Amino acid sequence: SGELYCSLPNPRNVHFESINMKNVLHWSAPEGTGDGVLYKVKYAVYGVGKWIRKPECRNINRTWCDLSSETSDHEEQYYASVKAFLNGTCSGWTETTRFNPLTDTQIDPPMVSVSSTDKSISIILTAPEKWKRSPEEESISLLQVYPGLQYNVSVLNKKTKKRWFFSINNNTLVVPWLEPGTAYCVSAQIHVTTPLLDSGFSKEHCIATLKDK
Amino acid sequence: TAGDKIFHFGACRVSMSMTEIRASFTAIKANIQSRDSIRTLSILSHPHSLHKVKSSDRCCITHHLFTFYVDKVFKHCRTEDSFVNRKISSIANSFLSARRKLGQCREQNNCVCGEESMEKFKQILANYEGLNVTSAAMKSLGELDIFLDWME
Repeated sequence: SGELYCSLPNPRNVHFESINMKNVLHWSAPEGTGDGVLYKVKYAVYGVGKWIRKPECRNINRTWCDLSSETSDHEEQYYASVKAFLNGTCSGWTETTRFNPLTDTQIDPPMVSVSSTDKSISIILTAPEKWKRSPEEESISLLQVYPGLQYNVSVLNKKTKKRWFFSINNNTLVVPWLEPGTAYCVSAQIHVTTPLLDSGFSKEHCIATLKDK
Repeated sequence: TAGDKIFHFGACRVSMSMTEIRASFTAIKANIQSRDSIRTLSILSHPHSLHKVKSSDRCCITHHLFTFYVDKVFKHCRTEDSFVNRKISSIANSFLSARRKLGQCREQNNCVCGEESMEKFKQILANYEGLNVTSAAMKSLGELDIFLDWME
């Protein structure tokens, strides 16, 4: 393609950072280069014979590029590559390792909502949605993507500091036989056994059981 | 055992230690895939995706793929790295066990092989034969997650 002799060092550490299948390519500037470096990005579906340029990430000076749209089919796997330009010279291409959106994404914690009676608390958990191009697009819960998805739930009695752990498959949990008029804090995590994926724990949601009638 | 998963392939039920297989593959994935420099060819997923196989043909295609990995792939994947070799052996033993179970059930339940799925499997073999044996075996091993993702 008639490119110049490329004497610039390559971009480094080119990799995907993926959360709920929002797949963003990140990299570091070539060694020893300061400001003024520009980049271009291309990607390829593994097994398909061509590299595709990403126009929105051509001649950019930032070191990331959102490829979520281009890598949204999680039944495919992908490569991406970055090239640098500075003062009329260029670098070689640096490639990612093979990216599998299904196994290489990170999952956010579930949403937690709690309610209480005098002796029990009810917990409803909602798995995050897969990234989508626009709000109008149909939502896909990660529950649909990972049928084996489970929830680990932690319940803490704030007074006694006693903590229980539950592992559930469906998204609701009722914790009975609690003390009236006591504060309990709930936190939950998503656990997928295979492929092995764990979210962090959600922040704590605290609620008090009603006082005895 | 913990981490076993039961798969239903048509009338056949096969339990596999998926957690162990996945962990072994994840441990060697970067090493194995870095040995495969051919981006433009896939053994399993192009031109026909496994995900387009009809559910009625799952039993047949899965048994063929177990056989493909046991007879054609694992034996050609020795590396200079003993850690990698141990993980490959662990995966191979799990596949051997799963193939035996599925094979027994297949005879009893006449696992149907539809024309479409046979075409698909022939394409997989053609993709494999199109490369020299070591490259083809390494590429197939590097695509194990495509097979596991499809199975799950």
